[in-house]
Amino acid sequence: MRLTLEVWRQTDPADAGRFETHVVDDATPEMSVVELLDRLNESLVEDGREPFAFESDCREGICGACGVTVDDRPHGPQPNTPSCHQRLSSWTDGQTVRIEPLRSGAYPVVRDLVVDRSALDRIVQAGGHVAIQAGTAPDADTTPVDHALAEMALDFAACIGCGACVAACPNGAAHLFVGSKLTHLASLPGGREERGKRARAMIAEMEQDFGPCSSFGECADVCPAGIPLAAIAAVNRERMRVVLRGKND
Amino acid sequence: MADPQDVKDAEPAPAPTERRPLPGAEPAALTTGRVRDARVRPAPKVPSWVLKIIMAVTGTVFALFVLVHMIGNLKIFMDPEHLNTYAYWLRTAFEPLLPYEGLLWIMRIVLLVCLVAHIAAAVMISSRARASRGTHKRRGMTNLRSFAARNMLVTGTVLLAFIIFHLLDLTLGKAVAPSGYQHIENGQAYAYENVVASFSRWPVAAFYMFALLVLFVHLAHGLWTVVQDLGATGRRTRAVGLFLAGAIPLAILLGNILIPIAVLTGVVK
Amino acid sequence: MTTEFHAPDAVVEGVETGSILDGQVPDGDPRTAWERRRLGYKLVNPANRRKFRVIVVGTGLAGAGAAAALGELGYDVHAFTYHDAPRRAHSVAAQGGINAARARKVDNDSVDRFVIDTVKGGDFRGREADAFRLGEESVRVIDHLAAIGAPFAREYGGQLATRSFGGVQVSRTYYTRGQTGQQLQIASAQALLRQVDAGTVNLRTRHEMLDLVVDDGRVQGVVMRNLLTGEITAHTAHAVVLATGGYGNVFYFSTLAKNSNASAAWRAVQRGALLASPSFIQFHPTALPVSSRWQSKTILMSESLRNDGRIWVPAKADDTRAPGDIPEDERDYYLERKYPAFGNLTPRDVASRNAHEQIQAGRGVGPLKNSVYLDFRDAIKRVGKKKIAERYGNLFEMYTHATGEDPYTAPMRIAPGAHFTMGGLWSDYDQMTSVPGLFVGGEAGWGYHGANRLGANSLLSACVDGWFTLPYSVPNYLAPLLGTERLPDDAPAVTEAVERAEARVAKLLAIQGEHGPTYFHRELGDILYEGCGVVRTQESLRTALGKIRDLSKRFWTELRVLGDEDRLNQELEKAGRVADYLELAELMCIDALDREESCGAHFRAEHEADGEALRDDDLWAFVSAWGVPGDGRFVRHAEPLTFDAVPLTRRNYK
Repeated sequence: MRLTLEVWRQTDPADAGRFETHVVDDATPEMSVVELLDRLNESLVEDGREPFAFESDCREGICGACGVTVDDRPHGPQPNTPSCHQRLSSWTDGQTVRIEPLRSGAYPVVRDLVVDRSALDRIVQAGGHVAIQAGTAPDADTTPVDHALAEMALDFAACIGCGACVAACPNGAAHLFVGSKLTHLASLPGGREERGKRARAMIAEMEQDFGPCSSFGECADVCPAGIPLAAIAAVNRERMRVVLRGKND
Repeated sequence: MADPQDVKDAEPAPAPTERRPLPGAEPAALTTGRVRDARVRPAPKVPSWVLKIIMAVTGTVFALFVLVHMIGNLKIFMDPEHLNTYAYWLRTAFEPLLPYEGLLWIMRIVLLVCLVAHIAAAVMISSRARASRGTHKRRGMTNLRSFAARNMLVTGTVLLAFIIFHLLDLTLGKAVAPSGYQHIENGQAYAYENVVASFSRWPVAAFYMFALLVLFVHLAHGLWTVVQDLGATGRRTRAVGLFLAGAIPLAILLGNILIPIAVLTGVVK
Repeated sequence: MTTEFHAPDAVVEGVETGSILDGQVPDGDPRTAWERRRLGYKLVNPANRRKFRVIVVGTGLAGAGAAAALGELGYDVHAFTYHDAPRRAHSVAAQGGINAARARKVDNDSVDRFVIDTVKGGDFRGREADAFRLGEESVRVIDHLAAIGAPFAREYGGQLATRSFGGVQVSRTYYTRGQTGQQLQIASAQALLRQVDAGTVNLRTRHEMLDLVVDDGRVQGVVMRNLLTGEITAHTAHAVVLATGGYGNVFYFSTLAKNSNASAAWRAVQRGALLASPSFIQFHPTALPVSSRWQSKTILMSESLRNDGRIWVPAKADDTRAPGDIPEDERDYYLERKYPAFGNLTPRDVASRNAHEQIQAGRGVGPLKNSVYLDFRDAIKRVGKKKIAERYGNLFEMYTHATGEDPYTAPMRIAPGAHFTMGGLWSDYDQMTSVPGLFVGGEAGWGYHGANRLGANSLLSACVDGWFTLPYSVPNYLAPLLGTERLPDDAPAVTEAVERAEARVAKLLAIQGEHGPTYFHRELGDILYEGCGVVRTQESLRTALGKIRDLSKRFWTELRVLGDEDRLNQELEKAGRVADYLELAELMCIDALDREESCGAHFRAEHEADGEALRDDDLWAFVSAWGVPGDGRFVRHAEPLTFDAVPLTRRNYK
């Protein structure tokens, strides 16, 4: 099928950027959005024109590297599906697909469709970890973990770190991301000891780059890992808990 | 050991071109593979999570006030004296423990403080939201929930205008009040008569009904946000929260909107 | 036995026989080898650890683990990744689980049995002592990763849950739904970021390794290209750990992430390290088939699907009926028929080869007739749709995303896809390559898996290397270097390495031909699948070698890299990687051609009995570790393999 592509071109972080229009004649419905970009790039290269830079790695929806805004929606029209799994069957012959970077004040554009999402890693670095040294962990079977609790922890741990939640949020908030990390680590025996300390550190870091949450719910709509919306409530819960408890755990 | 390809090809490679700086990037950040290390804002003095809790608590106060207010209003469907007595009782409640209008003033002060805090927090939050979202505004959101969420500032402003109008109209009896507005005299309130007189003007009734719809939209999203801001993560708590966030605004809407309709249709005279 | 060893003469042109390598395996009982070795290791005083700089390239499970553990110990660690964040490394994609010989259940598991499974599964072409270390440390790996945040599945009693996984008959695989790799990687990346926060690890993202600095016979640094600015800089250190993953992407269509590449490892080979068994490539039996022209990879579906799915093809060739219309007696459940004991759970190489055979015989299914069915109909009938959804829900969802078909109602279609490289940089028992100071961890190395890797052993080997081997063995290398300064940044060896890297980039940009790097990569993949794929013959390999050499010539004249070198330039990155793949592919074919036997995943059609791989233990019970001195010469060094605990037997899964 024939698709018209409007793709964002931006040479560097300071450039204002603009859309360029290209046509792909031989798109097929099974192709993914990133394969469409592959196809476009290959034809650009054959024509001696510079291809679009975009990030994509595992193409299995698990690494979180890919992430573009497609027709105004982070990742694309299919809810809860990463860009690499957004099939072109969402469009019909002759339609226009508009592809631009994930948009957020905290994600400077590196080039074309590539953004710098390291602000998310700064949050993890600030406290999204467990202070247990290699070799010092107790036998994992000595502290039983309830089946349902382990499953719940995994629901939240499933975050692939693509950052689409932030781009989907009209406030540029990272509550789904931070809430998922806080919930995941607070549910497990190793992570419980620093629960309060972690919440304080991560939320303080988060607030410097990301916006406040206004419960739009857009984040959970686009999240490829299907993180439950309850994660956004976990941010304030964990933060208030530290205040009420006044301890590190 | 040389690269075999280099050995095969004796041609000298062209010299590397001049390196240009990357506009818009921070040199120090670039060396570690990032574009910039500067944050969108320094650590705020009043954290956003505190602002959100202020909004949640003050908003809840408003919601409860409006709910109780609506229940009081329903007395209009009993005989006129019921509403007027209730209006007068509000002024004399807890006498002599409280002075005349003591309860009302406590409520007025609490509500005023809540209003100021709610608006101030809203302004700060939305300015932070704008900074964090960057220059490209999120587009293409279509569902009802996000319509309500996106328009909280708009609906809030309409509500503020409405509150001022409402106070002038039925509390102070100034400016926009009906021409026959009667103040409280000698232990007799005229709430019933004033309401009927005010709503008999159809544009006023229409504005009230519009404001009630706006209140519904604002409250429905506001209360659902309260569920998040007060940290309700449990499945059942959230389900109850979601139900109340719909049921309370709906009750307020229905209970109140009956009054202008009743006046306009002559059910209440 | 080592003294009597003679490697067979080389018959392939360009191949020379080299030295006999010493794997430095402790003498005596392999069961206690690791304990004895650790006791022999030299230590570094905590106060002196900051004086040693260790560079870790790659932040996957092995790299993040090594960097975090060495950082915790107090070494001055510098970690590099070409990703924007350490969490993205391709370890995330492993689905099924991680093995551990904790042997809690009464299904008669033990460390010995784990070793037997690993060594036998690897068809006796790996190092037995390494497998013992793998089994021994596997216990701590589970405890540690659970403690730092991996939410392993739990039984209703609260204990860790296990399942049995491809190729073994005990239940020793720990898992977190279908995303075990993801969870282990997130936990490890978080641990790494904790060290970054603590200031013990200096992490640089978006940096790709272009070269190594070798001076005084030791690896003393790396040359990195900053992918954002194109700047090429040298970083010196006392030791370098390469944890840069496998090279399966040489096949173009593979289950690997698009950016996974061989460049770091290949550069190490060019600087004097040896590449062990490059032709030992595992083809994953449950990859999604290629079904359209612009498909970019073969997505991996976890092997755990084979626990409940039944593999079949129509009994007669060219059957075009829908799967549901084919009656039971016209289906051939060929694995169950040929291997009644293991059935659908035969090891990967056996499953892949049999699928290949069925497809070659015209019984393949799907539009391109290049796949076989994996059917859940009977499992759903037996345990219910809900239970199946609980076990494989996200895999089924992924399949539906990728193909638009619903595995609950129609059987999945699967095909062998290039997956894991058992081969890799040759290292001794201490994980050090043949160049002192250069260590290797994870899939970039060789060691454990022989000629075929068991399911759920790759996460384990990466974790054991990173968390529980390199933190012991690297300090042992560093200890005698106390007082030795790092190579200064302006040393001739450093400048030379930087210039070499810069010249190569300039050269790639200067060709200005007509095709992008992907064009050549795709062609290379086709050549390899055809010539050096699931089944190899002398003829197919010779043909492939010729084609690769032609393609390589064309690459260096017809390549076109657009864009600039001082900006993010993904075409340039790809071009550099494809250039390395072309050279590596040649060596892979040379290795496959040289090794006149079949073993595990290396199936030479000339060496088979009854359709099964026929090993030649008299001649080939050694590891080929290749040196590439340039000028088209290939030197085959050999490390003889001895097996004390697991008697040499022919694998039999019937």
